[in-house]
Amino acid sequence: MSDRGHEASTAVGRFADVLLADDLPSLPADRRADTVALIERRIERLPSVTRFGVRIISFGVDAVARVAGADRARRLATGVELPLLAEYPRLVRSLGYAHVWETWPDSAVDGAPA
Amino acid sequence: MSVHHDCDVLVVGSGAGGATTAAVLAEAGHDVLIVEEGPWVEQGSVTPFSLDQMDRQYRAGGVTVALGLPSIAYTEGRCAGGGTEVNSGLYRRPPESTLDAWRRRYRILDFSTDAILDICEEVEADLTVQTVPGEHTAASDILRRGAAALDWQHEEIPRWMAYPEGAGAADGQRQSMTRTYLPRAVRAGARLVCDLRLDRLERSGRRITGARLTDLAADGPGDVTVSCRTAVVCGGAIQTPAILQRSGFRHRIGSTLAVHPTVKLAARFGDRAPGDVNTPDDVSVFQVKEFAPDLSFGGSASHPGLVALALTDNWRDMGEAVTRWPDVAIYYAAITSEGRGRVRAIPGVRDPLVTYRLTGRDRSLLGQGLGRLALTMLEAGADEVYPSFRGAPIVRDRRDLAHMNTAFSAMSASVMTVHLCSTAPMGDDERRCATDSHGLVHGSDNLYVNDAALLPEAPGVNPQASVMAVSIRNARRWCDRNS
Repeated sequence: MSDRGHEASTAVGRFADVLLADDLPSLPADRRADTVALIERRIERLPSVTRFGVRIISFGVDAVARVAGADRARRLATGVELPLLAEYPRLVRSLGYAHVWETWPDSAVDGAPA
Repeated sequence: MSVHHDCDVLVVGSGAGGATTAAVLAEAGHDVLIVEEGPWVEQGSVTPFSLDQMDRQYRAGGVTVALGLPSIAYTEGRCAGGGTEVNSGLYRRPPESTLDAWRRRYRILDFSTDAILDICEEVEADLTVQTVPGEHTAASDILRRGAAALDWQHEEIPRWMAYPEGAGAADGQRQSMTRTYLPRAVRAGARLVCDLRLDRLERSGRRITGARLTDLAADGPGDVTVSCRTAVVCGGAIQTPAILQRSGFRHRIGSTLAVHPTVKLAARFGDRAPGDVNTPDDVSVFQVKEFAPDLSFGGSASHPGLVALALTDNWRDMGEAVTRWPDVAIYYAAITSEGRGRVRAIPGVRDPLVTYRLTGRDRSLLGQGLGRLALTMLEAGADEVYPSFRGAPIVRDRRDLAHMNTAFSAMSASVMTVHLCSTAPMGDDERRCATDSHGLVHGSDNLYVNDAALLPEAPGVNPQASVMAVSIRNARRWCDRNS
């Protein structure tokens, strides 16, 4: 688990937390927690079939994270260009980045507050 | 608690199809009940194109996708007024050649081009369709300037907006369905109930007898039933076929989804254009039509959050641009696709499975579109262009553009669409169509479709005018037959 206010409650949340910590290393922990919570909520609202698919992928990535470490799992998920699997980090990033810059539009590229 | 409603005509959905249907029927004296799955959200209470709006007025928070290679993200309005509450408000009549082709290919009866365009004229008066007063926003002018430099055909697309005296280009008041046709329907006696999700229609043989719904605002179980003599489904091109399939109707339903796939880019103009480029709550009203109907270019909403989203595919190289978001605007290239998709209701699962297959020609056209759009940006004076696909280079000049064209692959692009139609095509050619020429579902005596699902093909332009004209035509015809 990366340095943050509370532990993500889902596999998607844990992945989002690690991904954002790497992509936006200066995003404050409370902002990252807020963003991860939003991503978790949004994933729960996905249409049934898409949500099922995302959960399957997230469980797989989560399992790799438990065995090989969260950072390796992140690198694997973001580096593999397989159809559908590649959409998973793209979805998480899209939701996360949109939230960060809509909520704190003056953030630096690494997530640091203005 | 169980609730029961009784009506002559049940209208499912309150968007461009449902609101017009309800207004025409109620004004003709019919007893109309409109059920809408989403909430009533007062205009002005939510920031346009924001995540908050997506939460409150879009299905699934705006995150819906047609699976495929590549998958295509799409959005559906889910609120009183449907998509008209959340779209860009641009208005285009259906091209005459398109209407002619539909009439011929699908054997649509009583479908004269003149009659449809006459209805368009009424709609334009009702919605105060007009061009923007005064100067255009900088984002609009960029597209105009780029196209003009290339000597490419371009035009301002009118919008259904009302502009108060002295208002600027971004100060229009949307004349969406909650401001126009829904109040008309209610004034004529129609009842509108929001937060009601239709689970399935009840049928006895060929006749629909009512519907089972769920009250989403209720604390408890919230079971609702409706008895009706006629049902008109206007849930949009995804929900309408899903409702029909769940109710046992399958002939040609949900198997011909048509969309306008789009790819996008962000462009930064800070070093050359005067003032801020980004108008977060508005979109460009200019479109480039040089390559229409195959290709057209337009502007997207460009909130800082959406700018960040447009840069995610190559954040390492492009992310820095988000810190200059006031100088950045987002544009899209849309294609008229030859591919088709499917909408399939799955037993026991609430949401349908949506798939779409782009053809090789579609993929190639998306690449051409993105290349030409990037060229338009360079000609308009962009300092940097950021195409939205994995591995995309930053484009600063024509040499970079050539590199971009080589690197582009539709499989790595963020493809999306907001125009969905054709999942219950109308026409008297029963081999190709789900309904007759006026929306009556084949296999039923009193079940109609009256929304974007009826359009036999994607019209190649913003489809709202086409949807409204067809819906009004069909509703009037029903009134003539049931007076």
